[in-house]
Amino acid sequence: MGYNCAQYIALATALSQRVTTLQEPLDSMKLDHAAILTSIRLLTLVTACALVPVHADESADVSQLLRAGKLVEAMSKADAYLASKPGDPQMRFLKGVIQRSSGKLPEAIATFTKLTEDYPELPEPYNNLAVLYAGQGQFDKARAALEMAIRTNPSYSTAHENLGDVYARLASQAYNKALQLDGANAAVPPKLALIRELFSPTNKGQRPSVTVAAAASAAAAAAPKPAASAPAVAPAVATASSAPAAKPAAAGADSAAEQAAQDAVLAWAKAWSAKDMTSYLAAYSKEFTPPGKQSRAAWEEDRRKRIVGKASISVKIDNLDVTISGNKAVARYRQQYRAGALSVSSRKTLHLLKTGDRWLITKESSGG
Amino acid sequence: MRRYLFPVLVATVVALSTSASASAHKKSSGKSKKAAPVSATVPAAPVDPGLAESRLIDVYRMVARADTRQALEQAQDLVRDYPNFQLAQLVYGDLLSARIRGVQVVGDVPEPVAKSAATALGDLRDESQLRLRALRERPPAGALPSQFLALSTRNRHAIAVDASRSRLYLFENKASGLTLIADYYISIGKSGYEKKTEGDSRTPLGVYFITGSLDPRSLKDYYGSGALPINYPNELDNRRGKTGSGIWLHGTPSNQFSRPPQATDGCVVLANPDLAYIIRTVQIRTTPVVIAPALQWVKPTVARQESKPFEAALAAWQSARSRGNMDQVLSFYSADFHSNGKTLSEWVPGLRNQLDKTRGRAIEFKDLSLLRWTDSADTMVVTFGEVADGSRSGPTRRQYWERQGSQWKIFYEGVIG
Repeated sequence: MGYNCAQYIALATALSQRVTTLQEPLDSMKLDHAAILTSIRLLTLVTACALVPVHADESADVSQLLRAGKLVEAMSKADAYLASKPGDPQMRFLKGVIQRSSGKLPEAIATFTKLTEDYPELPEPYNNLAVLYAGQGQFDKARAALEMAIRTNPSYSTAHENLGDVYARLASQAYNKALQLDGANAAVPPKLALIRELFSPTNKGQRPSVTVAAAASAAAAAAPKPAASAPAVAPAVATASSAPAAKPAAAGADSAAEQAAQDAVLAWAKAWSAKDMTSYLAAYSKEFTPPGKQSRAAWEEDRRKRIVGKASISVKIDNLDVTISGNKAVARYRQQYRAGALSVSSRKTLHLLKTGDRWLITKESSGG
Repeated sequence: MRRYLFPVLVATVVALSTSASASAHKKSSGKSKKAAPVSATVPAAPVDPGLAESRLIDVYRMVARADTRQALEQAQDLVRDYPNFQLAQLVYGDLLSARIRGVQVVGDVPEPVAKSAATALGDLRDESQLRLRALRERPPAGALPSQFLALSTRNRHAIAVDASRSRLYLFENKASGLTLIADYYISIGKSGYEKKTEGDSRTPLGVYFITGSLDPRSLKDYYGSGALPINYPNELDNRRGKTGSGIWLHGTPSNQFSRPPQATDGCVVLANPDLAYIIRTVQIRTTPVVIAPALQWVKPTVARQESKPFEAALAAWQSARSRGNMDQVLSFYSADFHSNGKTLSEWVPGLRNQLDKTRGRAIEFKDLSLLRWTDSADTMVVTFGEVADGSRSGPTRRQYWERQGSQWKIFYEGVIG
């Protein structure tokens, strides 16, 4: 089973987990139905994965060519692959990114639109569709796509941030129409983040990589079952939801370390809220891999724009739970992020590494 | 916790929602339909009169009860259907802004924009307040503008404009009496009301009649869906030496759904769907248009009671006419009387002729209408069909009477058809 397959399974687990948690407070009839539909789609994905192993090499190669700016080669390789596996979402997604990079915007829109139709549970194609629409000044469509992305995955932070930008642009357009201004400032398109790769393990804020290892085996066991029946998903759900519960008894030394790691997480959230970029960026380890395979400098610049640009930010940490193992720590918590009127509550996981006497962030993910 | 504050709006709308009669009359027009609360709304035909405003007010109500998500959806639909409704765009912009930052006032635009478009922004805020106020402060039930003393069955509709409220009220003269059937936001002169001279950019005040209906195809885009000229200057205006002409009720240019409260050269301007409905509804020549600085709403019975002395004077004139006594008849005419360019002495021979023709035959009033205009003077605009006993019909006569102390005197008389 290829590498990408594990990612599909992680996704399946994450999604079914989310559906499960959503079910509780809301109308059960409606959501049961939604849950079953989602389960069917997930099983289709997982089954497809089991039967047709995805060649990680191909998509990695295409990604590489894309990053190197070799668009023609990337496209021909993607096309060649899709000729034999026309349905492969990963490669189709990459093709959309290549089309956009090549300036083939209508084709890119068509590719991502088709992906949203075939995989409505994936937020990334919606996000990229929104980026394309926003680039054309079609902010209403961009907004609708981003809202779909958030509906499919409420903790999808890229879409939240993009949506904030789109709201601002739509407001500016409406004000210009209201006051009959010519809207000269509308010439500068908003800078929205395009997701360059689907299911990338380093894509911040999308995949609960923490649960991959534990969930993969359980979901894999469910995968070969051909029928899309509800019970087939159940083991995956059970495994995933039980994961955060285990907490080792804290020894004396560990409890001091735990306290230090907790303090590091809280200080990081405080710096973020205060838009104190120096302290915020200093909370990240040299080992930290920026999402989307960005360079560290590009990532820092992106964070700076995202954070300093906001009128106000509040990051609250609840239910913080830290597990120490040697010089590593995993902090799980519920994050309440607010910027202006935007408010997102989501489960987050930070991996920390003790560096000297400080705990620094090496990895950031959603879920967990 | 999310809080989007539009303090002014919330305060006014909360009051609005307690006003049971608010916009109730709109339903009676049978044309305007309320936007469905959630999704699946059929795009409203933009020709429905009053609909854009009632949808905007619905958005305000949603904001007032902190339902900003639905308000945003409805505002989006509204600007899709009425892209040139600037106030709706402003509110839509506020609701979008409220997703990412706090919004304190209607039109909470960024500072540089607020500075560069200060006038336009102020105009839209005024428009917003005036629209809300008109729906919050409804005319009292069973009351009519004090000018409408009596309308004959020939006056099938009547219009009253409250200039300070930027509102036009449309009435239907039903068997049960004059009934408010719709009211619309309007714009008046750039310099306000009480027109005196040509070019003063003011809207005239007084009792007028619609004199025609101009084909929109013959008009510039500026006038929108048509134009209904009124008879400014009327006989009272002429007597006071007022000048100017071409005062119309007309629509808006295609790129503007509505105009600021004070924006015209003296005309009364309505949104195109609203004007189109009025044009479809009212009659030429017999529809009075009262334009008042502030309408006084009174019970018709009270108004009629107050006009008793006048009606006694009119009855006395009628019986003098019937008897054909020249001296008695002349005692009702003011010294500065005129009729279409003739002074009283120039007009007397004609009057004598009339008396000779109908002497001894009772004069009946057919279709009597009485409109009272009170400012520094007290004026009565009287219209009736004059039918002598034994005749089937007669001329339609219009008189302007003025109260001089306790006496009512005619200062204008003419035949209008």
